[in-house]
Amino acid sequence: MSTRNTAAEKLLLQMVDDYTAREVAPLDMAIDHAQDYPEGFMKKLTETGFLGLMLPQEFGGAEFGPEVTATVLNHLARGNASTAVTLEGHFKTIDQILKFGTPALKQALLPSANQRIFAFSMTEASGGSNPMGISSTATREGDHWVINGDKIMITNGGLAQVYCVLVKTAPDQLSVFVVDQDMPGFSFGKREDFIGLRGTPVGEIMMDHIIVDDDHLLGHLGDGGLIGDSAHDDARILMGAVLTGIMEHELKIATDYAKERKAGDKPLTELQVTHRKVADIAMRKETTKLLYQRAAQLKAAGQPYSEEAAMAKAHGSRAAVAAGDDALQILAGYGYSREYPVEHLIRDARAMEIAEGTVEKMRSAIATAEFQK
Amino acid sequence: MKIVVCIKQVPETNDVTIDPKTHNLDRRGLAGVMNPFDKNAVEQALQFKATTDAQVVLLSMGPDDYAQSLREGMAMGADSGVLLSDRAFAGADTLATGYVIAKAIEKIGDVDLVIFGRQAVDADTGQVGPIVAEFLQQPQITYAATLRLSGPNEVTAERLLEDTKQTLVAQLPAVVSVRSELNPPRYPTPRNIQLSFEKPLTIWHHDDLDLDDSRLGQAGSPTIVTKVYAPKPVKRELTPLTGTPQEAASQLIKALKDRQLL
Amino acid sequence: MSKPELWVVAERRLDHIEPTTQQLITKANQLAGDRFHVVAVLLEATTDHLEDELTTYGPDEIRVVRDDRFPTATDAELADALKQLVDAAQPNTVLFGATITGRSIAPRLQAKLQTGLTADCLDLRFDDDTLVATKPSYGDNIMCEIICPDRRPQMATVRPNTFAAQPTPNGAELTTAKVDFHPVTRLHVTAATPVVNTATTVGDASRVVALGRGAASAATIDAATQLAERLGGRIGVSRPLTDQDRFTHDDQIGQSGNTIHPDLILNFGISGAVQYLVGMQDSQTIVSVNSDPNAPIFAASDYGYVGDAQAFMTALLGQFA
Repeated sequence: MSTRNTAAEKLLLQMVDDYTAREVAPLDMAIDHAQDYPEGFMKKLTETGFLGLMLPQEFGGAEFGPEVTATVLNHLARGNASTAVTLEGHFKTIDQILKFGTPALKQALLPSANQRIFAFSMTEASGGSNPMGISSTATREGDHWVINGDKIMITNGGLAQVYCVLVKTAPDQLSVFVVDQDMPGFSFGKREDFIGLRGTPVGEIMMDHIIVDDDHLLGHLGDGGLIGDSAHDDARILMGAVLTGIMEHELKIATDYAKERKAGDKPLTELQVTHRKVADIAMRKETTKLLYQRAAQLKAAGQPYSEEAAMAKAHGSRAAVAAGDDALQILAGYGYSREYPVEHLIRDARAMEIAEGTVEKMRSAIATAEFQK
Repeated sequence: MKIVVCIKQVPETNDVTIDPKTHNLDRRGLAGVMNPFDKNAVEQALQFKATTDAQVVLLSMGPDDYAQSLREGMAMGADSGVLLSDRAFAGADTLATGYVIAKAIEKIGDVDLVIFGRQAVDADTGQVGPIVAEFLQQPQITYAATLRLSGPNEVTAERLLEDTKQTLVAQLPAVVSVRSELNPPRYPTPRNIQLSFEKPLTIWHHDDLDLDDSRLGQAGSPTIVTKVYAPKPVKRELTPLTGTPQEAASQLIKALKDRQLL
Repeated sequence: MSKPELWVVAERRLDHIEPTTQQLITKANQLAGDRFHVVAVLLEATTDHLEDELTTYGPDEIRVVRDDRFPTATDAELADALKQLVDAAQPNTVLFGATITGRSIAPRLQAKLQTGLTADCLDLRFDDDTLVATKPSYGDNIMCEIICPDRRPQMATVRPNTFAAQPTPNGAELTTAKVDFHPVTRLHVTAATPVVNTATTVGDASRVVALGRGAASAATIDAATQLAERLGGRIGVSRPLTDQDRFTHDDQIGQSGNTIHPDLILNFGISGAVQYLVGMQDSQTIVSVNSDPNAPIFAASDYGYVGDAQAFMTALLGQFA
């Protein structure tokens, strides 16, 4: 079995690297400049089966485990981080349906999850850090639920077709329902004009009297906080992987440039200032990689991974911004130019100091976990 | 309908080096992948499979680790794979390779169409397709730029010669080698990669085929590689052009006039 | 004792002889000295006179076989005809151009003869009567010398434009031979249309403006196009540029692409990977412009300028005007 898994993983990564080199990396600059994926880009990604990467085979997926899934996003992000983050948003949502959904809900939703993008939405305009502060509601009317409220800052908002939404089912009770874009009362709002990860749409949905049955409830009433935390944990592992990919990209740009260039009559590769920066980028990349792989291993083994997932994201996001800064400095004027990718890699990495919980919140979570030991 | 696609496993990159001591090719550390040109052949077979009830069998000759590229082709969508693996086959040139491949196609049986990629990116010969066609006594269409099933038992192909576009019609069974312009090959999807491990991959050894031993491996190969080396470019005496682009351009124009090139 | 025969199988290209055939005859003459009898083997229609285009290059003999079915014959039919000729004359060596046609017929003939064939050769020489064929592998990164010690004839296909064709005043003896044409009924050529726009390839051009990674912007390519027009030449590219929509592998120099030897080549933004250098090193005059003074291309050039490719092209175009 393990030989087979190794062989399958090898074939998969070979395909992912090939796909990244041909279909993703050449569009990296264009995606950033256009603030969107080009026509047909998501269609091809879908046809090539990426949406079903970790989906169980019984629902038409490939059923690769947490470690392989994260590694795939790491490799994809070497070509374009937005693409990997779009998949991250989708996978973390599927993960919650797998963990908390009833067999009927899974059967209803998951067979389409290799064709349709799923998204998880918690944040509202009233502020993201306190879930109890949200104002969206699901109220009981007869034998169904009526959902009202607006959600913002949704990864893949506008691109995704299925949304897990955090709502209040009582003044002190948070629950998650699943809605889809075809339901009466569902509409899309504006797309954010963010400075980084510009391919990944981040947008708003409006829910005006959407009527759903009990079977659209994810988990139990009152599970909202639990599911939200779980979604964060799963997302953070994948973000660690994306950040590793960004740093690998930064490292490649820096070393390629250093190998070609001279300062005066000395190659950049012989200057100590270059050594220091390149070594720092490489160490940041490698530590982040170890962190996300460790968290993914724990998840695969069924052990707690929340703290390690937070570390992967908190360390990785700061590391990737700093690594980008070092790479920019090696390229100097070229690094500062929008003609070269370094500056957008910094902007891309910067998003992940905020998304799925700020670096500050991560540190609190890590410290709290340490105090409890 | 049964289609056999012949594939070869090649090193992942062509950046091979020569061992300075042994003067042999150093292929260590190079991962094996399916020859990129063969993917076009697999894609064509899969397109036929989509519109007919065709069964697509992949065939390769090489050591046991060539199973990897057969698996890759099955992950693209081929139904099964056959690997011809035996120490007796080692060291074969195109003639000895073509012989064993043709024998295996005969053993597979009832094969309507054999498709090859235009050539392998490592050896760059493109010879095995025509050799197999000759051994099977079947018509061949090489370097097909388009290929379609034009009748129940017939394929039509276009091929671009140096100055001529030809249309050819072949009655099946036939052997076709295809150009890379033919199609963009599909990627194996993650799900199909997993499912490919449920598909049959058969290994045939020497005794599984009816073979004339004198035609196998090194003994059956008329050609011998006597020397392998990295090409060394010829050095020339460089005259630098200097100054601004304008100054350098006028120096060049004068030089080219002196050489009667302008 | 008659001398062993060294054959060049003549290839038709529309209503003419494929230039590679003439190049091969010149090479065969040089290889033969007085040890081999050089024969150009020509399969043509009864009304054709393609031998006129071979005589100029002076093989010892042009052996003509005529049948009106030859011009549209398929690979297997031509291989069958050649097999009969080989059986009758027992040549020592049979050479083909490594054109699409040559690379299709030669292996089919090889299988019939159960002998050795070396593909796409870049050099040929004889050790006694054994042909030593130099064949590139791994995308021209590696050269192999290959022999066929025990079986005859020994065969090779030779990459177009590897050798230069030289007319000689020697003339050639014209002979005819006969074969039985065995039609293959299961394969037909139903249409053949001349394709005009590939008539001049980068391999045929006498002036080449070559572009690499350092000269890949749209503005630079536009300037290069003007320059190529002004010189009466063509644009060629190194491997990285074949990824661009406007270039294909047909435009590529080196690396399984075209080996070229124009009178003049101007290299812009090409650093000079080994396979590229080998692909163009037989050019008469080599000029290179690159922003990196250490680019290997300079060591293989007659004239070099360290600087920006587009600025140099603009300056050059300005001074032509």
